[in-house]
Amino acid sequence: MNEVPPDQDQLDDVDDHYRRASTLDPSRPSESVRRAVLVHATKLAAERATKKHSTKIDSTRPSVHQTWWRPAIFGTLAAAALAGLLITPQFLAHRAPPMAAFSPATPAARAPVIERSRDTIADEQPPSAVSAEVQSAAKHRVSARNVVPKAIDGYTRPNENGPAADAPAAIAAQNAPAASSGAKAIAPRTARINSPDSAISAAPPPAPAMLQAGRPTGSPTALRRAAEIGDIPGLQTSLYEHVDINARDASGRTALMLATLHGQIAAVDTLLAYGADPNAADARGTTPLQAALAADQRAIVAALTHAGAR
Amino acid sequence: MADAGETDETLMGRYARGDAAAFELLYRRHEMRIWRYLERNVRNRATADELMQEVWFAVARDATRYEPSARFTTWLFTIAHNRMIDSIRTSRPQISLETLGYEAESVVQQLTADPSAGPLAAAVAHDEAGALIEAIEKLPGEQRQAFLLQIEGDLSVEEIATITDSSFETTKSRLRYARAKLRELLKEHA
Repeated sequence: MNEVPPDQDQLDDVDDHYRRASTLDPSRPSESVRRAVLVHATKLAAERATKKHSTKIDSTRPSVHQTWWRPAIFGTLAAAALAGLLITPQFLAHRAPPMAAFSPATPAARAPVIERSRDTIADEQPPSAVSAEVQSAAKHRVSARNVVPKAIDGYTRPNENGPAADAPAAIAAQNAPAASSGAKAIAPRTARINSPDSAISAAPPPAPAMLQAGRPTGSPTALRRAAEIGDIPGLQTSLYEHVDINARDASGRTALMLATLHGQIAAVDTLLAYGADPNAADARGTTPLQAALAADQRAIVAALTHAGAR
Repeated sequence: MADAGETDETLMGRYARGDAAAFELLYRRHEMRIWRYLERNVRNRATADELMQEVWFAVARDATRYEPSARFTTWLFTIAHNRMIDSIRTSRPQISLETLGYEAESVVQQLTADPSAGPLAAAVAHDEAGALIEAIEKLPGEQRQAFLLQIEGDLSVEEIATITDSSFETTKSRLRYARAKLRELLKEHA
């Protein structure tokens, strides 16, 4: 290795020798190798061409090669479904109507139940027509009215917190005509609420222990406010808390009247289904039906009419 | 369709997008250069065939990762060199001198049998080819690799240094000594 390398001119002769010899060299790779290489390359090219046509997305974007979004979407959907399963029953439990059920199978039998006394139900309802559950709900409803006997007589008691000693008799007197017409009037309303698009129909019946609580825990103001803005869950919560459904404000307006004045058809439906007095006029003597006619609220007019409004 | 006038880099781009004809054109352009580089380093036809297939399979597989900023021949010979070195390192038995002699003799026979060559030309070719093969076989491995990379791949000293993981000066020296030794051997043969 101590020898000094020759200069470039001499080296060119070596390169020429090599190239000449290479030209004459018949050595070739095997035909099988050539074929295998070309077949393999053609196969890969076909795969790439197919992939390019199928995706039509710039494959140079890194996100194209990422698959993290699939488990992310499935995870999100699964979490949402789980949350729905856990939360929905609690949410619906608060909205359960005080009546046991709104089954269309016994609408005519239940409508009078709303307005009748406990003893009347026990005497008049055939055992096969009213289930024990319905009777329990009716008893609760009546007991709730007995505890909070107010406001049914409208103008004579604008103060909703007034004395209620004679309330049972007043209710019986006030509801006597409604009980006869209410059987056919409220039944369509309950059937309507029981339609598939109604949240009420999906609500489970309230727990008997809760229904038997009797004493009002909610606020009539909250009930009227919910009726005014069409807050059905809030409305049902107030009713579930035994708030007097016909409680009036300083102007003598019931929740039904306020719902009518604000065009809240769903609230009107709900209140009627829960037994609101369709003829409870305000301090000026205006009934909900008159208010609905004046405002050209045809759906509410129909609902009130069906409920026996005059 | 691939055009014969297109550069290697363009053809690689076409192949990466699914044009099989571009690959075939590339293969035909560089087939013999890669083959000679492999065969004259490993000195075994079967091993060279195996390496040849591995190299071109790698080219086909990695076509989408090829960056046109690098010369295709540099990339190609880098793959070939690495495969060849791996093959040697995995204790693949070196070709015996007897086998090499047999292959050299085979080349000479084929050259002699070429009907296009006259008797004199065949004799000259016989001598030259045989002498060259013997001379290259006698070169030290690193000199032989550097010489073949330069003459078959048309690679610069810098590129050869990079491929063989050597310094520029070392590579330059290897190339000089390789040529000097080849010249000396050819003189002896003459």
